Amino acid sequence: MSLQNIIENWSSYRKGAEQGGHHNYEHLWGMVIDLNKCTGCGACVTACYAENNLAVVGHEKYSRNLGMNWLRIERYWDEPDLGEESVAEYQHHGASFLPMHCQHCSSATCEPVCPVAATYHTPDGLNAQVYNRCVGSRYCSNNCPYRLRYFNFYSYYEESWPAPLHMQLNPDLTVRDKGVMEKCTFCVQRIRTAKDTARRERRKVRDGEFTTACAQTCPTSAMTFGDLLTLHTPGGGVGETEAASLWKKHQVELGKSRQQKQNPELRGYRVFEGLNTDPRVLFLERVREV
Amino acid sequence: MSVTGLLFSGHSSCTRADTVVDRGIRRLPVLVTLFVLCAFAFFLPQPAQAQSPIPNAVPPTDTYSGPRVEQPIEFPHDVHVEQNGINCMYCHTYARRSKVAGIPPTSKCMGCHLVIATDKPRIQKLTEYWEKREPPPWNKVHDLPDFVHFNHEKHIDRFVLGNDFPVERVKEVCAFCHGEVKNMTVAEKSRPLTMGFCQRCHQANEGPFDCWKCHK
Repeated sequence: MSLQNIIENWSSYRKGAEQGGHHNYEHLWGMVIDLNKCTGCGACVTACYAENNLAVVGHEKYSRNLGMNWLRIERYWDEPDLGEESVAEYQHHGASFLPMHCQHCSSATCEPVCPVAATYHTPDGLNAQVYNRCVGSRYCSNNCPYRLRYFNFYSYYEESWPAPLHMQLNPDLTVRDKGVMEKCTFCVQRIRTAKDTARRERRKVRDGEFTTACAQTCPTSAMTFGDLLTLHTPGGGVGETEAASLWKKHQVELGKSRQQKQNPELRGYRVFEGLNTDPRVLFLERVREV
Repeated sequence: MSVTGLLFSGHSSCTRADTVVDRGIRRLPVLVTLFVLCAFAFFLPQPAQAQSPIPNAVPPTDTYSGPRVEQPIEFPHDVHVEQNGINCMYCHTYARRSKVAGIPPTSKCMGCHLVIATDKPRIQKLTEYWEKREPPPWNKVHDLPDFVHFNHEKHIDRFVLGNDFPVERVKEVCAFCHGEVKNMTVAEKSRPLTMGFCQRCHQANEGPFDCWKCHK
């Protein structure tokens, strides 16, 4: 999608998710995260650092919110019940974890505000960031309700990967420099490799053929990555994937800002769905004994 | 007479021999000229095959001239490609199956050059590297920026393997981006290889236009 295309189709480009968006998708990559399974171990964060050449900024900068972790585990603590409950019971209830990476919203708030069209939607349904086009205005980050875009305020190359460590960099990705916004790509290099292999063998990409680094590493398989195109256009894409069947099972529909569930026991929800961003990551609520 | 006789021996509509001879003699100068032309054309080297265009392809036309990249050994592409007719993919063997075309291992060079042209100074230099068990430190000529993803395999598939184009003529497709390497000694960059260059070719050949197809 070139800049010209965006300018010519501007009115449809701004179309919200409830009008079906503007895209003719080839794929619609999405994810399901089962919070029942998530233990908050942080293996996905480490995997993301290794896969995507994320800069290690150091303790001092991290504490100033300059960390470059595309995937972060948010922690939420239960309100301590100051009544009859004891402290021990509060600890038993513990924390809840929420792994947050780019939600790849269908009508993403970051996309229309970019002055140079460095962030846009690919035909694969990914929210893309073109690093060499980015001028660092940071509008996208300010407009993201999830705060899942990270800005390179410094050049981290020297301090992050000193001499022998630069050998561990992933050659399929750019190392971002100062003044560039970056974000989760759903491991686009893996998607690209899988699509190239599929093309070589003259077939479609299979479900489960590849997965993102975080989903691959998750020790409890809490994350399920897959093509959701069957939810958008029935019969398209890779077919009914595991992720798409989970979306169906929990009766969460794409392109809606409010879900109508028949069964209150269904656990699926999307973060900030009411903002009509149409995020592509489905969370399955954690069930607890009270 | 022998020429006309041969030419008219199968002419069944004429019944009388003198008519045949008459017609033959009248047409003799034309026929001789035709024969001479045909013979001339037959003995000429035939560039016709090389000039037939590549199907479903609009080759790019931009040119570039920049500083020449020095190499440890002045590898003569022209001797290998033009004089000996070796296919590009005999040495750059990964072009059809991976992102990069690949530099051949020294063992591939030595496969021939243990016996061929061992007295030439370049080959002796190569043999030195071979005996030291070191690859010649080749310098990169066609260098793309790190934020660009280019896949040789897809381009070979689009223009050659999936296009019913004979693999023997793959060098004409390679020349889209690498220029006429068959006439060079050391490979030189003769196309700009800029984003505009890629885009014009993608526009003409209906290639993908998504930013993330090439940028990473």
